[in-house]
Amino acid sequence: MSVSKKVVLLGHFGVGKSSLLRRFVENTFSENYTVTIGVHIMKKEVQLEKENITLVIWDVEGTDDFTKYRPSYLMGASSFIYVFDASRPITYGDIKYNLEHLKEKFPHVPVHIIGNKVDLVDSKVILEELKAQNIQHSYLSSAKTGENVELLFENVAAQLLENA
Amino acid sequence: MLDKLRQEFLESTTQILIVDNTNRVLDTDDSLFSVKKNSDITEFHPFFHVISSLFDDDRKEQKFYCVQMEVQGKTCFFDIRSQINSEEQQIVLFIEDLTDHYKTVHQIKQVRNESIINFNVTQELNHELNVQRGFKNKFLANVSHEIRTPLNSILGFLSVLENTSLDREQLDLIGIIKDSSKNLVSILEDLLDISKIEAGRLEIKNKRFNFKKFTESLIKTYELQTQEKRLEFITEVGANIPKFLIGDQLRINQILVNLLENALKYTHQGTIRLRISTPSRNMRRIPVTFEIIDTGIGIPKEHLSTIFESFTQLEKRGLFGGSGLGLSIVKQLTQLMDSDLEVESIENEGSTFKFTISMGVSHDQKEEKNTLQTLRKTDKRSSGGLNKKKKHRILLGEDIEVNQLLMMRLFADEGSYSLDIAKNGEQVVLFLEKYDYDLVLMDLTMPVMDGYDAAMRIRGHTNKKIKKLPIIALTARTSEEERDAAKEVGMNAYLTKPINADLLFKTIDRLLHRYKNRKTTEIKQ
Repeated sequence: MSVSKKVVLLGHFGVGKSSLLRRFVENTFSENYTVTIGVHIMKKEVQLEKENITLVIWDVEGTDDFTKYRPSYLMGASSFIYVFDASRPITYGDIKYNLEHLKEKFPHVPVHIIGNKVDLVDSKVILEELKAQNIQHSYLSSAKTGENVELLFENVAAQLLENA
Repeated sequence: MLDKLRQEFLESTTQILIVDNTNRVLDTDDSLFSVKKNSDITEFHPFFHVISSLFDDDRKEQKFYCVQMEVQGKTCFFDIRSQINSEEQQIVLFIEDLTDHYKTVHQIKQVRNESIINFNVTQELNHELNVQRGFKNKFLANVSHEIRTPLNSILGFLSVLENTSLDREQLDLIGIIKDSSKNLVSILEDLLDISKIEAGRLEIKNKRFNFKKFTESLIKTYELQTQEKRLEFITEVGANIPKFLIGDQLRINQILVNLLENALKYTHQGTIRLRISTPSRNMRRIPVTFEIIDTGIGIPKEHLSTIFESFTQLEKRGLFGGSGLGLSIVKQLTQLMDSDLEVESIENEGSTFKFTISMGVSHDQKEEKNTLQTLRKTDKRSSGGLNKKKKHRILLGEDIEVNQLLMMRLFADEGSYSLDIAKNGEQVVLFLEKYDYDLVLMDLTMPVMDGYDAAMRIRGHTNKKIKKLPIIALTARTSEEERDAAKEVGMNAYLTKPINADLLFKTIDRLLHRYKNRKTTEIKQ
């Protein structure tokens, strides 16, 4: 039996959190946007070199104000994945403010910053934009094409095992 | 009875589940879904992995709102309340089915979020368009500056060449080059106007002006041109239109010139009629209707809706060089004046362009004194009022050699001035400190120190004479911002290249006269 860890997907609504989750767990993608209300939870076992780990991923309803997240959704989280939409600057304009809030409430929980929907933008342009805004992102991903999705969750899992 | 109803209600909406700290199901009433006793509850749904962290938490109770679960193939939404019994290492979960309520919430949020996302995407597209538009406008401004600079020397030297001993044929050839260069200048001006309008930077400046004089001058110009083409020019200006009106004379003139030029271009026989009228006798504001009616080639019906399209479309139709650009500007200018340009046309019979502008009626209908003209007459370049013996020393700040040569040539024909040239703003200041000058002509774009900085240095100078010297900006840049910036740093006049020699010397005379008067007053005091 593998160890299980809670991972929470955070970010504005419509950035593709649920799509990333479905791509990772079910390897499916839909062009239609379906809003997530409350929380939707899925799990998947990730096989790593030394050990396996089960990621219990909480896909939480999107919001632009992280102070509004219900504490019960975030409690017990081992890792946060902060998702923004690379094609909508409004979804990453307030990253610093939201990260500060997370750091204050959950100082020991690592945060991975993901720019999703990279298939819709010129990655060079978005990289320059993020650099200009001093946003240290972990990956640019696309739930549509699957770009970097597996890698993202594998790295989250590896880090969790390392920190365990 | 009530107890029974409550029991039935709770049974259909709430499930109670007791689990231990190893996620093992100890008891359940299976009201909403069935789970086996002693089974691992996390196998039923991953939500229940949370149980272990509940035991680590200080709070005895927790509530999880709107947890989405698939139960027997149906999506359900539950509010789940947990209650810990630390001593027994057990946890009681009250699972309340609020699927109907949350489905309504879901529908509302779906619509709300979709509209916000669409708004964001539209905003982003608009932003991108504005960036592109900004780039285009900047590009146009820079290109026009780059073209204006050599055009300045072409036109300037053509004027110089015209005054040398040439035969008739050579003069004709110069005339052709001059016309083409002027045409190029007007295309550049059109391009700049279009970019200004699109950027929302073209402002309508309503001021009092002599409407009678304005129309007379316009009519005079086109009387000559229509005569040359053997056309009849009929003008009808309403006698009830007041002499002084408030409006944007520059832009009204631009519209009328454009429309009259078009009429001239496309009318090969018959008449061109300019009709200006108002039905109103209001003393404050009157609608003034302008009509340009020609008997020209007319516009085919299928083109009537596209003749005002902006230059990107015109370019496609290959009308770029034909000044179809003007009509687009004219249309947008009338719209900026809260009017609209209407067109009626029949192919091979003629066209009528018509627009109505609401103009203010000036309270003061008295003739103003034209001090400038009087000054020019009395002052002339023989310097009646100025010092006859001494030439006025002018300092020019200009880095481009060909422009320096042109100015030297223009000044060579004027006996009243001597011209010195500094290559940049820093040199201008140095020369002013070393020698005596009466006026500075300043190019704005220069290396080392540009014209703006040099003007600021002059205006902040400790030497009172230098500080107060008149400065005229000479530049190929035509934007309002540049004009305002020059004014802000204390420049007294702003002339754009290609330099009009007559205007240049008129401006020099005017400023020298004003400067001389100021000096005299200061001495008297």
